[in-house]
Amino acid sequence: MKLWVYVIRRLVLLLPTIIGLTFLVFALEHLGGNTLFLAQYINPHLTGTAREKLVEELTAKFHLNDPVYIQYFYWLAAVFQGDLGTSTTLGQPVATGFVWFMPNTIMLTLVASVLTWIISIPIGVYSAARRDSILDQGVRVATFTLYSMPVFLIGFALFIALGTAWHALPDQGNIDPVLLPTIPDAWFDHTNAVSYPTHILPLDAFLHGDWTIAWNSFLHVILPAVALTLALLAGIIRILRASMLEVLEQDYVRLARAKGVPERMVQNFHAKKNALLPTVTSYGYLVSGLFGGAVVIEDIFAFKGIGWWTTDAFLNGDVGVVMGSTLVFGLILVVTTLILDILYAFLDPRIRYE
Amino acid sequence: MATVTESKARFDELRLSGKVFLSNKTAVVGLAIFLVFIGDAFLVQVAPGVLGVQYPDSVVPPQFTQTNPECVGTAPEAPSFNHLFGTIQYGLSGIGCLDLLQLVMKAIRIDVAISFFIVLVGAAIGTVVGVVSGYFGRWLDEAMMRVTDVFFSVPFLILALAVGFVIGRTLVNMALALIIIWWPLYARYGRSLTLSTKEATFIESARAAGSGRLKIIFRHIMPNVLPPVLVQISLDVGTVILIFSTLAFIGFLPSNALVPELGAIASIGLDFVALGDWWPVIIPGAVITMFSLAVNLMGDGLRDVIDPRRRS
Amino acid sequence: MSDALEIRDLHVRFHTRRGLYRALNGVNLRLARGEVLGIAGESGCGKTTMGLGVMSLLPRNASYPQGQVVFDNKDLVNLPREYSERVGDRFSPKQNERILRRVSKAMAPIRGRRISMVFQEPMTSLNPVLPIGFQVGESIYVHDPAQLARRVLARSKATPELTRELVSLLAATHGDETSVRKFAAEHDLAGIEEQALFVWSRGDIHISRKEKAIRALSGQPMNFVERWIIDTVVRARSIPWYLSRIPILSRIVRRVLMREGNRKARELLTSLGIHHAERVVRMFPHELSGGMRQRVVIAIALANNPEIVIMDEPTSAVDVTVQAQILELVKRIRTSVSASFIVISHDLAVLAEVCDRIAIMYAGRIVEVAPTDEILHKPLHPYTQMLISAIPTLEGKPVEGIQGDVPDMRAVPSGCAFHPRCPFAFEKCREVIPTDLPHGSDQLVACWLYEGK
Ligand SMILES: Nc1ncnc2c1ncn2[C@@H]1O[C@H](COP(=O)(O)OP(=O)(O)O)[C@@H](O)[C@H]1O
Ligand code: SF4
Ligand SMILES: [Mg+2]
Repeated sequence: MKLWVYVIRRLVLLLPTIIGLTFLVFALEHLGGNTLFLAQYINPHLTGTAREKLVEELTAKFHLNDPVYIQYFYWLAAVFQGDLGTSTTLGQPVATGFVWFMPNTIMLTLVASVLTWIISIPIGVYSAARRDSILDQGVRVATFTLYSMPVFLIGFALFIALGTAWHALPDQGNIDPVLLPTIPDAWFDHTNAVSYPTHILPLDAFLHGDWTIAWNSFLHVILPAVALTLALLAGIIRILRASMLEVLEQDYVRLARAKGVPERMVQNFHAKKNALLPTVTSYGYLVSGLFGGAVVIEDIFAFKGIGWWTTDAFLNGDVGVVMGSTLVFGLILVVTTLILDILYAFLDPRIRYE
Repeated sequence: MATVTESKARFDELRLSGKVFLSNKTAVVGLAIFLVFIGDAFLVQVAPGVLGVQYPDSVVPPQFTQTNPECVGTAPEAPSFNHLFGTIQYGLSGIGCLDLLQLVMKAIRIDVAISFFIVLVGAAIGTVVGVVSGYFGRWLDEAMMRVTDVFFSVPFLILALAVGFVIGRTLVNMALALIIIWWPLYARYGRSLTLSTKEATFIESARAAGSGRLKIIFRHIMPNVLPPVLVQISLDVGTVILIFSTLAFIGFLPSNALVPELGAIASIGLDFVALGDWWPVIIPGAVITMFSLAVNLMGDGLRDVIDPRRRS
Repeated sequence: MSDALEIRDLHVRFHTRRGLYRALNGVNLRLARGEVLGIAGESGCGKTTMGLGVMSLLPRNASYPQGQVVFDNKDLVNLPREYSERVGDRFSPKQNERILRRVSKAMAPIRGRRISMVFQEPMTSLNPVLPIGFQVGESIYVHDPAQLARRVLARSKATPELTRELVSLLAATHGDETSVRKFAAEHDLAGIEEQALFVWSRGDIHISRKEKAIRALSGQPMNFVERWIIDTVVRARSIPWYLSRIPILSRIVRRVLMREGNRKARELLTSLGIHHAERVVRMFPHELSGGMRQRVVIAIALANNPEIVIMDEPTSAVDVTVQAQILELVKRIRTSVSASFIVISHDLAVLAEVCDRIAIMYAGRIVEVAPTDEILHKPLHPYTQMLISAIPTLEGKPVEGIQGDVPDMRAVPSGCAFHPRCPFAFEKCREVIPTDLPHGSDQLVACWLYEGK
C-alpha cells in the first residue's frame, strides 16, 4: 500500500470518531437537563425578564422543544460557527478563552514531550542493553517508583523542594506579580492578563525585547515543565526498555551478532530503530496522559493554560468551559494520534508498502 | 483415569505458577505490602476500634469540636512520636489536631474499595463487550471499535471531569465516571484476546463437533481470555488509584463532603504548603505511591506467571 | 591436515523456571576441511543448540558444563565453560550475561568472517528496517573495510586505457584468475580484479555488455574528503580509531564505505542467482519472498569467504519448489567455495542430496556418523533405521512414521536415551550410556548392539 492511500484511509476513519465525539459532548450537555445546557449561553448576572426572554430565544435557537436528534444538529451548527457559549468565570466567549490559554498549554506539553524523549531514549535503550547491570536496576527501581506516583505528588514534591523550601525557582503563576504592572499596555491586556501576539508570555516578551519579563516568565515555565516531564518519563522509559529487550532477542539481532557486528553497532543500527518505532504509536496513548497530566500540573502551579482554566471552571460550575475543553481536547488528541500514526507509517518500511 | 492425570497436570501447573511467582522477590514484597493495605481496609471495616480508628466514614466527626474544643484553630503539627504522621488542620482556621495516621488508615479502606470497584466493574463490562464483539465479529465488532475510539479520543482525566460535572461530585459518581473511561480498555483487550483465541484451531474443532455458541464462549474462549484479563486487573488497581486520588485532589470531591480519601486529604493539606508544611500533602501521596507500587510489582510477577516467554 | 572444527564432549543446558533442559549431552564431532557434514534428527534433539553453541550465540540462560569446541587450535567455549564449572548449580543467567558480553568480544573476529551461520528462519532473520544492501554489505564493512576501500581506490585509479587492456586480457585468457591478479598488482590496481572477474563470470548478460561493464570500472570520481578517507583506510588496512570514533566523521566514513558495500552486495547477490540485484539491494526484507530472503541470508554468510558455514534447516521454511532451488544453490556453492559446511536438517532426504557425511543426533548426542551412502544403505543404529524408513519414497509407498515421542529433555532417559523407543533394547541399554563404537573404517555408532563386533 502506498503511503498516501494509507493516509486517506486513516482520514476516512477519523470521521466516525469525530462525529462520535460530538455525540458524546452533546449527550453530556443534555444529561444535565436544559437548565444546565442553557447556562453556558447566559450571563449569570442576568436576571428577571431579560433572562426569561433570553432563555426563550435560546430555546428557539437550539430547538429545545424538538426531539433530541434535531437539537443535536442545531447545537452542531453552533459549534461549527465557533459558538461554544460564554464562560461565566472569564466573562468572555469560551472560544476566546481557548485562543488565549491554548498556546500556553501547547507550549508546556511540547516542552515536556521533547524533554521526555531526550531523556528517556538513551536511558531506556542503554538500560535494556545493559540488562541487570547496576545502572539498569537503578533505572528500574526509579521508574517503577515514579510510575506509581500520582501526578499531584510529583508536582508538589517539586513545588515544595524547589519552590517553597529553597526558593530556587518561582512556583506559582506565569510571572512574578510585582512585574505585572511594568509590562507595557502595547502588547499586554492587563484586565485579562493576556499577552499578544502569541499569548505565550515569555515568547511575546522576547519578541518585544523585554528581557526582564522574558526571563522571569521563562523561569515560571521550568517547574511545571519539569513536573510534567517527570510524570511522563517513567512510562516511556518502561515502554522503551521493554521494547528494546524484546528486539534484542529477535532473530535478526542474533544474525547481526553472528555476522560479527560489534555490540555497539548491534544496538545502534540493528536494535534501536526497531525498538523506537512501536513506541511512536504507544506515545499516542500517552498523549492522553500528557493532557491529563497538564491539567493537574497547571492547576498546581496556577499556570494559565487550558488545564488550569478547565479545573477552575469545573470547581465554579462553568459548564461551557468544561464541555468546550472536552470537545477541544478530544479534537487535539484525535489529530495528534493521526499525525503519529502517519509518522509511524512513514518511518516503518513495513507498513508503507504492505 | 483421564481426569486423574488431567487434574494432576492442572495441579502441577498451579504449583509451577506458584513457584514462578515466589521466585520473583520483588513481586513477593509487593504482595506483602498489598496484604497490609487489605488488612488495614478489612480491620477498619469490621473492627475499627482495634486500630484506634473512630468514625471511619468522615474526616472530622461532627462531635469532634464538642469533645475537643481546644482543637479549633490548632495549626498542623509535624510528625513526632505522638503523631507518627503528624497532624493536619481542616481549613486555615478550622479544626486542628487531626491525626494524619488515623486519617490515612481510614482512607485506605475507601481507596482500596474504590479501586477494586472501578476496575472490577469496568473489566466485567468491557470484557463481556469485547468477547462478544470479538466472537461475533462483523458490524458488531466494527461498531464496538468505533465506540471505544470515541472514548479514547478524549484525554481520560478531562472526560472524567466532564462526566463528574454533569452527574454530580460525589464519591460514587467519581467511581462511575472512572468506570466510563475504564471499560473501553477492557473491551479492546478482551476483543484482541478473543480474536487470537478464535484463530486457534481447537475452536474450529469445537465448532465442527457441534457445540453451541455460548458453550464455545464459556468453555473455550473464557479460559483463555480470563487469565490475562485478571493480570491486567491486578495492574490496573494500581493505576486507577492514581487517577481518582488525583481527581479528588484537584477538587472532584467537594471539600465539605469530608470524605476520608487519600487525594482529598492531601488537598486539605494544600492550604499549609505555603507555610512550609510538607507532610499534609506528601504523606498521603506517599501512601498512594506505596499502594500503587506494591500492586504494580505484584502484577509484574503475575504477568511472569501467565506469559510463557517470561517464564525462562 | 587437521580438522576444520572439532566438537569434544559438548554439554549444553538451558536453565529455565520450568526446569533444567539438558539440550546437549556429550556431542563429539569432527568436521574435515572442505567437507559437507549433515546433522539429522527429530526436532528438539539439539541440532540448533549445537550450531548456536559453536558460534557462542546461545541465549543467556544456556550453560556449558563440559566440553570444547576446537577451532584453529583454540577452544571457543572456554570462557562460558569456565564460568559454568565455577558456579555449578548456582548458575545465574544475569551473571552469564556478563560472560556473554566478553565472549561476544572475543568471538567478533571469528563470527561472520571465519565461521558463519544461516539461521533456521529466513523470514525473521533479516532486519525489517534496514535495506538488504546494508545488511549484506555490512558483513564486509565490519570485518574487512579495507577491501571496500581498495575497490573504490582501484576504480578511481583505473584509466579507460587500462580497463580496455583488462578486457582484452580477460578475453585472451578466458577469464584466468591468476593473470588478472597479476595485471592488477602490476598496475597498482589491487581491488579491481574481483570486480572484473565477477563481471566476466556472469552468465546472465551478453559478452558485449560484460565488456562495457568492465570498461566502466574506471575513473570513479571522488571528492577530497572521500579520497582522504579511502586512502587512509587502504593504508591502515582497517578503519583507524579517529575515523570510527569521532561522532560525525564516523558517520561519513560509514556512508562512504557502505556505498561500496552496497555495490559488493549486488555482486554477491548476483552470483547467488538473484536477478535485478541492483533493485534488490534497495529493498526491505518484507518485499522479498521466503526463497529470496534465504538467498540473502546465505549471501551474508558467504560474504567473507568463511572457513566454516553452518546452515540450520536451510530448506525447511520454504515451499517445495524453492526448496529444490536452494538445494541446487547449496550444491553449487560447495563446489565453488572452499569452505566446510555443516548442514542441519530434520529431513534426511535433503541431507542425502548435498552431504559427504551425515551425523544422526538423538537427545543431545550423536548416535551415528557415517558417509552418506553408508547411512542411507547400511544404517546401523536402530534410530537411524527408523529415520530412513520414514523418508517418503517416490513410489509413494505408505510411509512408516517414527514411533514414540521425543524425550523430555528435562528428564533424559538413563543409559541409551533411545531405549524407551528401541525395539532391540536390552538390560545394559537402560543402565550404561553407549560409547562411540567404530564400524568399518569411517563409521561410528553409539549402540550396544554393535559392541564387540
Ligand atoms: N532458549 C531456550 N530455553 C530453554 N530451552 C531451550 C531453548 N532453546 C532450546 N531449548 C531446548 O533445547 C532442546 C533442543 O532444542 P533445539 O536445539 O532447538 O532442537 P532442534 O534444532 O534439533 O529442533 C529442546 O528440548 C528445547 O526445548
Ligand atoms: S543401545 Fe540399546 S536401546 Fe540404544 S539403540 Fe542400541 S539397542 Fe537400542
Ligand atoms: Mg532447530
